[in-house]
Formats: sequence, C-alpha cells, structure tokens
Amino acid sequence: MDTLRIYDELCKGVEECGICIYVCKEEVFRPSETLNQKGYRPPVIVNEDLCTQCENCMIFCPDLAVVVSEKKRKKGSK
Amino acid sequence: MNELVHPYHCFIRPTVTHTTFCPGCGDGTVAQSILRAIDGLGMDMDDFVFVSGIGCAAWIPSPFFNADVLHTTHGRPIAFAFGIKMGLPDKKVMVVSGDGDLVAIGGNHLIQNARRNIEMTVICVNNGIYGMTGGQAAPTTPMGVKTTTTPYGTFENFFEDISGLVIAAGASFVARWTTAHPRQLTNSIKKAIQKKGFAFIEVLSQCPVQFGRKMGTGNAVQMLEDYKKRSISIKEAKKLSPEELRDRIVVGEFVDLDKPEMVEEVTRMIRRASGEVQEVVDAGRG
Amino acid sequence: MDEKRVHTGRYFMMGNVACAEGALAAGCEFAAGYPITPATEIANHLAEKLPRVGGAFFQMEDEISSIAAVIGASWAGKKAMTVTSGPGISLMLENIGFAIGVETPCVIVNVQRGAPTTGMPTIGIQGDMVQAKHGSHGDYEIIALCPSSPQEMFDHTVIAFNYAERYRTPVFLLSDAFVGHMREEVVIPEAEKIETVYRNIPEPGTDPLKVKGFLDEDVAPMPIFGKGFKAHVTSSCHDEYGKRNLIDISALDKFVRRLSNKILKHKEEITLVERDYEDAEIVLVSYGGVSRAAAAAASQARKRGIPVGTLRLITVWPFPGEEIEKMARKTKQVIVLENNLGQVYPYIKAEAAHFAEVSFLPPKLVGEIQDPEDILKKIEEVSK
Repeated sequence: MDTLRIYDELCKGVEECGICIYVCKEEVFRPSETLNQKGYRPPVIVNEDLCTQCENCMIFCPDLAVVVSEKKRKKGSK
Repeated sequence: MNELVHPYHCFIRPTVTHTTFCPGCGDGTVAQSILRAIDGLGMDMDDFVFVSGIGCAAWIPSPFFNADVLHTTHGRPIAFAFGIKMGLPDKKVMVVSGDGDLVAIGGNHLIQNARRNIEMTVICVNNGIYGMTGGQAAPTTPMGVKTTTTPYGTFENFFEDISGLVIAAGASFVARWTTAHPRQLTNSIKKAIQKKGFAFIEVLSQCPVQFGRKMGTGNAVQMLEDYKKRSISIKEAKKLSPEELRDRIVVGEFVDLDKPEMVEEVTRMIRRASGEVQEVVDAGRG
Repeated sequence: MDEKRVHTGRYFMMGNVACAEGALAAGCEFAAGYPITPATEIANHLAEKLPRVGGAFFQMEDEISSIAAVIGASWAGKKAMTVTSGPGISLMLENIGFAIGVETPCVIVNVQRGAPTTGMPTIGIQGDMVQAKHGSHGDYEIIALCPSSPQEMFDHTVIAFNYAERYRTPVFLLSDAFVGHMREEVVIPEAEKIETVYRNIPEPGTDPLKVKGFLDEDVAPMPIFGKGFKAHVTSSCHDEYGKRNLIDISALDKFVRRLSNKILKHKEEITLVERDYEDAEIVLVSYGGVSRAAAAAASQARKRGIPVGTLRLITVWPFPGEEIEKMARKTKQVIVLENNLGQVYPYIKAEAAHFAEVSFLPPKLVGEIQDPEDILKKIEEVSK
C-alpha cells in the first residue's frame, strides 16, 4: 500500500495554496507539471521514501486532498 | 487494489464534490479539524446537529458535512441552536460560523448563551474580515487597515480578544488556536464536544484572498507563517507584560470549568413543575 | 390529546390566557418570546403551564432569537410557538421568511397594539395586517387567522397549530390588545373532541439521499433532525432534496412558486369565513374584534328595515378573494370595517368593486372597536 495519495481533482493548487509543500519538512512534494481539470496545479509526490508519515500535509490541507497512511496501520497493529 | 482512502471523506455529504473555499483558505483546515475530533471521539455524524450562519465559515458544515445541518440567517445560528438543543437534548449541537456572524451582527446571542451556559460547541472562525461580500471591515479588523468599506483605513477600535468576551460572559470552556495549530485545535474541539456547558473555540483562520491582499500579509503560506511566529501559549504569555504581548496571538485553553448547565437546569425545573419530584420545602415555612 | 394539557371546563377567561390554553391543548411543547405589552399574559401563562406537561417557555434576549429558537425547536421535532406584538414582529420578519423558505411549522401570535413604532402599547389596533403578508422580503404566502373573542383565542390557536403542522408553514394568529385583554366565557371541550395534527415525516430508515423533504405543493414530509435523515436545511434557493442551487436560474422560479403554491393550492381548506348576507343589499366586511361591532350594527339595521348582512374573514391570509367576489355578486353595497386606516380594504375592493359599490369606514384609533352607531350612520348614508 502507498504511503501517500493526492486527490488531484480536490486540490486548489500550489500557487495560491501550497500549504502541503510548506508544512512538509522532508520535501516530499513538488508542483506538478500539469494542471487538474479545474485549472489548478496540484503537487506531485517526488520523494515518497523520505515521508515520515507525520501527517502534516494531510492535517493542514484545506481541501482534504492529501492522505497519508497511518503509521500504526503500516506496522500491522490495526 | 488496496488504494489509500482519506479517512474523513466518509463524513462528507455524497452530493458535495469539493469545499467551497478559495485556494489556501484556512476554513477547510478547520473543517478537517472538526471531523478529526468527531472521528477521534469515536462518534457518528448522526450524533450531531450542525448550525451555521452567513459568511464563508458557515459553509464549513453546510452542505459539506453529511449530517443534519441548519444553515440559518446572518448572526443568528446560536439562537437557532438554542431551540434545537432544547428539542434534542441528547444530540451534540455545534455552531460553526465566522467572526462577523457571531461577534458583529450576532454578538448578543453569543454573550447571552455563554451566560446561560447552555451545552453546545461554538466554533468561531476568525479571519478578521468580511470575506464573502468582498473584504469589508469587521469588528475584528485591526485598526487602520484599508478595506473596501474603509478605503482610508479603519478608524474603529477592534475586538482583539473575542475569547475574553466569552469568558467574561460565563462560558464553561474557552480556547483559542490558529490554523497553524490544527492538532491542538482538534484536541480542544474534542474537549468542547464533551463539555457540559457552553464551549467556545476561536480559530484564527487565514483569508489570503480578502485579508492577505489588503493587509499585505501575503498568501496562505505567509499568513500561516505569521500565525506561527506571533502565537504564544497562555502559559508563556502570563510571564509577559501587555507591552510585550502587543501583536502576539495568545493561544491555548483559557477556561475549563464546571458550573450549572442550562439544559440540565431546565430538565430539573420541569421535573419539579410536573410534580415528578417534590419541591424542596422552604425551611422558613415551618 | 393528553388530558393534562386540556383543562376542560367553562371559564371566565382573558383572551390571552385562552390563547395559552389553546396552545397547550394543541400540543405545544416549546415556546420562546420576549416580554412585550399586550402579549405578556400568554408568555406568563405558558411559562407556568408548559413545564407541567414536559415543555417550557424560554425568555430569550430579543424577538429575533425567540423566533430563531422556535424554528430550531420545530426542526428538532417540537410543536413550537412565539408570542409578541408589532414591534416584536418587526424584529422577527427576517427569520419568519426563513421559516417559510425552509417550510417550518410554527405559530406566531401577534397581539397587535397601537402603532407605528412604540406607539401606544395598551391600545388594540389592527395595524399589522399587511405586515404579516408582506413584511419579510420576497414573494410568499402566509396563513393568518383573526380571532374576535377569548373563545376564539382558544379555538383559533388550536387551528393555527394544526395548519402549521399540516402545511409546514408559520401561521399567524392576528389578535389585538382588545381581544387579547377581553374577558369572556371560554368553554374548553374534552380532550378527545380537540383535533390535533402532527407533521408528516419521512419513513424512518429512508436513505437520506432519497428523502425529498422540500418544495412539494402537496407538502413534503419534514426530515426533522435527530432521525438520521442527514437533512441539509438551507434558506438559500434549493431543490426538493434541500440541495442549494444558486447556479441554475430556473431554480429560483421553482423555489418561489412551489412555496407559494403549497399554500394557494390548499386555500379552500384553509379559508374560514362567516357568511350572513342572504338577501342583503349592504354587506359589512370585517375581521377580528371589529366583526362584533359589525354584527351588532347589522342586526340593528335590519330592525330598522335595511337589509344588511355581514361577511367575516377568519382567515385573512391567504386572502379569500373568491369569498369576497361571491359575496359582492349578491349585493349592492360593501362596507369595509377594520380597526386601522384601511389595510385590507384595497384587497377587498379589488375583488368586489366590479360587482358592488365598495366603501371604507375609517375608525377613530382609540383602542375601541367601532361604535355600532357610527356604522349605522354609514349604513344609512350608503343606503340612500
């Protein structure tokens, strides 16, 4: 299972928002080359391996457009 | 395929495809903080009735949350919520609205219901401006700021401490956070939901489109950065002088106390009046 | 209805108290208001009696919050009412529009007083007749009943609740200080003789996505809160499912028209009038307390050999234009009597003037209903 998922269609763009990139300490994201259907530029995951699953991107995202897999669940405790 | 699914999408009304907020608006972060609190408490959306007024923040539950939602007139959500709580005392009633709605036009309902200490959670999303109508001055807009209705700068003193107002009015639980503190915000919302009494949470939320541009405080990220820099915990703030606290945002849980709650008091009164329990005999009547 | 709620018997009772007794008998569980003369006795009586049957009266911070709380309680499934006078209605109007827009059953009692503005609080004037119909912004239909005696303060309050619940709408009881403070015999019947209605609600367990809870001209079932209907209730323009629609322009026409038609379609069932104009050449049209003077004047005129009849509107809104036309076709002269400077008169004239001469007798606004002698003079004047 993936660690991260971005719902491209929910995103309102890194130019005006960009909170996910700002709150990620590990530089997991960068702006996408392409726009979504609404004309916004979502982030893309470039360094998934660096993700510490701190969930900042998910918790801060105003559009519920990022999800991070739960640490515990990954360890199989849940 | 074992695809990762957002844990809170199940709380969103199926007919709603996306939030209605501008890019970078903090209101979506508040929305998620509420949903995380509900999920964290193991509660269901059917345990709640959400009430909102008019303004951007009112769109946090309406129509976004998949629950009973009453989207009311400007300034009055707490008054509507009063009737709902009295009619459905076993449900959790949560009001989500903005500073203009709850503190300007609806100020007296906020004060009076904090005084009554009726059980409900009120989340006041404070962005310091009228966003929906295009950036007019609010009672929370700092003095001197140029807005669409104050082109030469606001000339009024402003509400720097809404939480202080609600504390003075008598609420049982009062906290303030910013959208730079979503985890702390969720924790306070959990406590507020469980509080037997009037629980008020003020959340400073960035409005990059109407406030950021006018104040020159920049985009969403710059505003979050600014919240982070200016925030100081209540514990730390107590050590500082008013001078040193100028321009700082004091965050934390200010009040968490137990006092008579109105729904319980009403239930008690009804039991007495209906003869279900005997009235306490006045000692002087002997 | 619950026997504890119905205080069967014969009483010498004040109109306002009879109104509160009617609310109890109708099943009112929640009342909210703000003290105002000349409506206070209703609030006082409800505050005393409602808790004895498990309900309560709440004194709010103002009239705006009073009607808001009533609407909230109604969505929580409670039969709810507020009581006030003209100044209070003026404050409530925005939220009354809200109640109409989201189809909320509730009863609003307006014990009218000397107005405009603060006016003369203890004086009974029928000054808020058109406010009830047109006070809130936009096009809408409303139901309003006009009692003329303490007995009717009881009876009409029960009817008001039943109409509110049946048609999912606010219903006005337009009384005034004259009728509200009048003391007369009131007979409260046995509980089983009082018909009470409760709103239709969707079948429990219905898929929330399939609940059509709004904008049905035959009255949609009300997806009240706390039953898992996940109702989205917004006064913004919406569709049958309650979904807000601010994009499609045709949605507004449907929204406005269906809300209005919901009342107009049932106008015949809603309309209550008292007709006593068989073979009359002159008909006195009135409502509320004034109809007592109209009846007295008509009776005296007949004794003097002038064929005078009466038509009394109990339901003033929706306006019973058909009743007015029917009456006007059978008579020659119509005299409109109201305790104001002519508020419903233009509506009556518009329906009647094609068939009969229509005139208005302006009263002196002195807190009394018209002196039958003055009405007799007017009758003699038009009969010449």
